[in-house]
Amino acid sequence: MERDIFLIGGGQTKFGEWWGRSLRDLIEEAVEAAFKDAPCTALDIDLVVIANMLGEIGSHQAQLGSLASSLLPHRPPAVRVESACASGALALHTACAFLESGRAKTVLCIGAEKMTDASPDAIAEGLMGAADAEVDRPSGITFPGLFGLIAARYMHEYGLTRDDLSLVSAVHHSNACHNPFAQFHSTITPEAVSRSPLVSDPLRLLDCSPVTDGAAACILSTQMPSDLRLRASQVATDTLSLTQRATLTSFSATKDAMGKALTEAEISRSEIGVLETHDCFSIAAIINMEDLGFAEPGRGVEIYRALHRGKHAPFPVNLSGGLKGCGHPVAATGIKQLLDVGKALRKNDGAIGLAHNFGGAAATAAIHILERTHA
Amino acid sequence: MPDSSPTAHRALKTKRCKLQDGIVLSCTVLRHPPARFGPRPRPVALIALEDGARVLAPLTQALPIGTHVRSRLRLSHITAEGLRIYDATYEPLVLSKNPVPDFPGYILALTGPSGVGKSTVSAVLMRMFAEYVERVPIVTTRERREGDDGEYRYVSKRVFTELQKEGKLIAMTHIPATAEERWYGYRASDLERIWKAGKLPVVITEMHLLQGLAERYGRRSILSFGLLPPGKSKRAMLSHLLHRLRLRGRETEEHIKDRLKNAEEDIAFFSRRKDLFDRILVNENVEHVIENLRQTVPGLSEARTEN
Amino acid sequence: MSRSAIVGFGRYLPTFRVKTEEIATHWGQDGKATARSLGLDAKTVPGRDEDSFTMAFEASRQALDVSGLKSSQISAVFVGSESHPYAVKPTSGMLAAALETDPFCFAADLEFACKAGTAAMQIVGGFIGSGQIEYGLAVGTDTAQARPGDALEYTAAAGAAAVILGTEKSKHALCCIDHTLSFTTDTPDFWRPAAEKYPHHAGRFTGEPAYFHHVRTALTGILETAKISIADIDHVVLHMPNAKFPKTIAKEFGISEEQLHLGFIFPSIGNTYSACSLLGLTGVLEAAKKGERILLVSYGSGSGSDAFLFTMLRDGAPLPPDERTPEELSYSEYLEHSPQVH
Repeated sequence: MERDIFLIGGGQTKFGEWWGRSLRDLIEEAVEAAFKDAPCTALDIDLVVIANMLGEIGSHQAQLGSLASSLLPHRPPAVRVESACASGALALHTACAFLESGRAKTVLCIGAEKMTDASPDAIAEGLMGAADAEVDRPSGITFPGLFGLIAARYMHEYGLTRDDLSLVSAVHHSNACHNPFAQFHSTITPEAVSRSPLVSDPLRLLDCSPVTDGAAACILSTQMPSDLRLRASQVATDTLSLTQRATLTSFSATKDAMGKALTEAEISRSEIGVLETHDCFSIAAIINMEDLGFAEPGRGVEIYRALHRGKHAPFPVNLSGGLKGCGHPVAATGIKQLLDVGKALRKNDGAIGLAHNFGGAAATAAIHILERTHA
Repeated sequence: MPDSSPTAHRALKTKRCKLQDGIVLSCTVLRHPPARFGPRPRPVALIALEDGARVLAPLTQALPIGTHVRSRLRLSHITAEGLRIYDATYEPLVLSKNPVPDFPGYILALTGPSGVGKSTVSAVLMRMFAEYVERVPIVTTRERREGDDGEYRYVSKRVFTELQKEGKLIAMTHIPATAEERWYGYRASDLERIWKAGKLPVVITEMHLLQGLAERYGRRSILSFGLLPPGKSKRAMLSHLLHRLRLRGRETEEHIKDRLKNAEEDIAFFSRRKDLFDRILVNENVEHVIENLRQTVPGLSEARTEN
Repeated sequence: MSRSAIVGFGRYLPTFRVKTEEIATHWGQDGKATARSLGLDAKTVPGRDEDSFTMAFEASRQALDVSGLKSSQISAVFVGSESHPYAVKPTSGMLAAALETDPFCFAADLEFACKAGTAAMQIVGGFIGSGQIEYGLAVGTDTAQARPGDALEYTAAAGAAAVILGTEKSKHALCCIDHTLSFTTDTPDFWRPAAEKYPHHAGRFTGEPAYFHHVRTALTGILETAKISIADIDHVVLHMPNAKFPKTIAKEFGISEEQLHLGFIFPSIGNTYSACSLLGLTGVLEAAKKGERILLVSYGSGSGSDAFLFTMLRDGAPLPPDERTPEELSYSEYLEHSPQVH
């Protein structure tokens, strides 16, 4: 990092199905919550970076930069970014570039998604924009389908069982119960996951993160300090289509971003004390453990076995409930993950936390490392 | 907009490339496919085509990983304006009537560091169970050396790369060495020939090739043995290997140094990747190892042997 | 003017079947008696994702393989059907593109009820004979539509057959077309208005004034033109709308069971309309020997009859077997499979 970038405040809406709230309403709410939490005022904001994927399809709304900017009295410059489900983290990454260059000193980052105004078919179609429209779309595959293929292949290569896979969502729901912002506040047993209706073999309903409305916002500054400092912000990409990957059971974009982030932060992965990772589908959580280097290939599920037994081994994972338990308003997730890492570090007096966000089948992956200094 | 005339027209070219045979790499069933495909569950697979390209495409029915499939041109869907979109669908290829081999899709693998005695064990195996097992040749770009006993097929790097591009290799690895970079791999056709003949393919292999085989055929189709040298500590094992390699007299001291370095990794691999091995055997005595194999490998215990 | 010859042939049948008994039972009729009287066990049913174009493609791909030609050598594609996927947008164009024929290719769709396939063969033969092309493709293909509860429901089936023609001097030549003629009238035995889904037919009027009159006239005509008698013919293929009509003609002309045998594909397939007599021809081409003579007479409602006389230039060879297992459908599944036609 070229400069010290501090996370000086943040807030979010509750995640859920909000029939009474529009995209604009959600953005406003998150921004208000962020300012309530931060020592600065709206006038301190030099730049707004807003992340959103489905504005056009879900709300007939583009030009989100202008929409967000007009919420602040002085209308600062604004930029919208998109990388499917990694849009939130991409907003943070973009903010870092502006902050490091000195073009901005305090940046408002927003991630927002409104997924319940358009029909489920239209939304599913829109989400497939995260894959390759020319190469993947003709087959009719959906995102649960892509991860169904990944899960089937993973089970073939490593012998992962259905029962083991079901541990993942059980753990995430259990964590979500403690998160007041989460979409779900019910525990589920692994058996319930295994019995839930099939969505795309072998993935079942409770293996899949939901459709959610929500927004999260945070303020990053080089001007005002706080106890939370960004140690790394890294992004890596991979092919859009699974058909052009060497393997289905590992995501090179995650590995690349992780390697670069550890180098930038000058830490080893053993120093990480808390993790928010991208569990769009249960199988992704398992693969993420391996790609992030916390487990050997084929052994990611062992971490979830330990977590299910109540052990934080190697550390707490997805205390927010993850995408499955907390909900997944696509572009809001990346911002919300950073906020949740910050909360966990403060609550448990931790030192270093990591947020891992990816888009599509990890065609874009982003890692942010946050440090809690005793400032 | 998708399914407009221009997009449908552009897609015609890529469709023709899909009309080949292939193998199912993974398969799923979309229980509620997009509306344009109707209400029935839709099986979709990732398929590796003969020319090495991969496609996502519907299947006529859900199929297990590894199934050979053939292409059909079918009606994919009809757009809201009545334009008919055709695309490739894949159905299981009924393989021609060959006698069903006794060991279909099943492989015996022996993995271990250089000098542990894999070749000796394998030579005895081949001799004793000649009717039932056959060693799978290793395709390699390294040069023939004195002492090579017919286990290798030597090809140029160019040919190796071609085989790789054509998807004919099922596992491959390279051993970076101080002296030369050497590539190794197995040809799918060699394995299939042995299955067709009703025999059990035996691979004498190392960690990357073993992983490649597990990825391609599934972990469960490999009966995997690790061979360790005798010795209570890693240092003792390595010293044992060094002794054997020198005794073998086949290599220069530089080559032996490389081998030992790899050997250390190989030994670590056994504990790191326990999941890839069904049994670890210590090769103190070739007869004991063979007896172990004979008792563990289905089909061998009743086999008639040449002695 | 040189004569044209068949240099390659192929066929495609869907894997689905519905038994005559299944349909009859649904309508409260005696299944076994119906099957016996029709001489039909089961008919072919197209898959939900199949239509006349996809079947034409499969049959043509096979014909290309058999011929050993490159697809770019084909410069005419004529497709006959009563169930072209579009009313306007030709099957022949889609087929030429999918097969990657020479882009400079004569192409058009044909309709003449069940004889559109053989009409295509005549047209391609004409292009070859006049020296305008070297190789051309003729296809008959149909997913026949039948009104539920109507008598034709038992027999209206789906399938495709393709022949590739070249000159008789071509090195791939298998079977030479010695003579062909057509007999054409206006006869209202069977018709389908453009806006309607199912055809109408005129009951017993479809027999003597329609099928029998035209087949008889064309058959007699070609025997006279070629100065040949039935005894000189080794194999006879007749259009098969059911089992009875061709057998009646056979009796009239003294055509034996042996002569009919190879081409009599009806009992396990049904009436594949534009593909019907061409499918019968493929059965003969697989097994006939060098020097043997083949007579084919097709019939298309409306009406007309095409007659051909062939000579085998070399022994035929069987097509690669279809190794997929036929799948029997229940009546409700069969309805779901029934094609939507414009």
